[in-house]
Amino acid sequence: MILLGKIVLGMAGAGLAGVGVLCSEGMVQVKVIEKQAQGTHINVIAPAMLAPIAVHFAPRRDLAHAAREIQPYMPAIRAALDGLRDSEDVVFVEVKEPDEHVIVSKSGGSIVVDVDDPGETVHVSTPIRAISSTIEQLAAATSNQLQ
Amino acid sequence: MNTMRTMKAMRKRAQLATALCLLAAGAMVAVAPAMAAPAGEKYLHVKVEDPSKGESVNVNVPLSMAEKILPAINNHDLHDGKVSIHHAEMNGIDVRALLDAVRNAADNEFVTVKEKDTDVRVAKSNGNIVVHVVDKENKEEKVDVTVPLKIVDALFATAKDDELDVAAALRALSDAGDILLVTVQDASQKVRVWVDSRSTQD
Repeated sequence: MILLGKIVLGMAGAGLAGVGVLCSEGMVQVKVIEKQAQGTHINVIAPAMLAPIAVHFAPRRDLAHAAREIQPYMPAIRAALDGLRDSEDVVFVEVKEPDEHVIVSKSGGSIVVDVDDPGETVHVSTPIRAISSTIEQLAAATSNQLQ
Repeated sequence: MNTMRTMKAMRKRAQLATALCLLAAGAMVAVAPAMAAPAGEKYLHVKVEDPSKGESVNVNVPLSMAEKILPAINNHDLHDGKVSIHHAEMNGIDVRALLDAVRNAADNEFVTVKEKDTDVRVAKSNGNIVVHVVDKENKEEKVDVTVPLKIVDALFATAKDDELDVAAALRALSDAGDILLVTVQDASQKVRVWVDSRSTQD
């Protein structure tokens, strides 16, 4: 009985550790609410670490073009992401039109995009660390191809 | 009996140590964002308003972020935070000598151009170079540019003859006080560019 308890505890611990690792880069949230009657209401919250993992396991030949395209801009992208990480929470861009409101901001380690127009409201939040890892994985796809 | 007591004491100590570690980790997580935020951060703000259409665009950029990104961009004439200017564009003007002359001169109006449709004034005032342009045909259209001399100096200080050190100018802008750099006003739109230490435009 005690042995069974230990096994269950071990499995639960491993599961918890796995969830902890998976959530270590924060969560990506995508929320779309269509304003018309019976409009769709989508709210997806997923571990951000899935993105770099997905890029890592994606077929290299499918990523080759994107990886080649992104390569020259990597120093600037790395510097931008470093700067973003170190900066305080701030609204970078806010566009107000009579029927549309767009905000791009940094909030608590994530880049947040909010769009509010007559048709729908969209909220996307992505941790900067996850963006960084995903882009690094993508860039690495070229270097792997070159080898 | 003694062994039991020692084990209990050790377990208590281990629990206490775990609790302290958790507390320390929690405190680190809570304090980390504040530690990451650079002290005395300055922001470059751009505001474009068109009241007739009810539109506005606000942009806020932390200068420290711009300082990091700029040297990483190497594209055409921009490299390592410097912009190459071609001698042909300078029309043979010795900009450094010109700047020296302006720096040493007293506050004054240096250039006044009055044309049929435009007035242009270039002056030095309180350590700033001020450019003022008014469209006479449409009095509502005017452009004001204020550039601190320190920033102009930084542009030329470390760069070669055919370069402008934009990264150094950004650093100088960070060190300068709050300043309204550009205002452009026309019949319907108003554009303002300024630097201050607030992250919002409110």
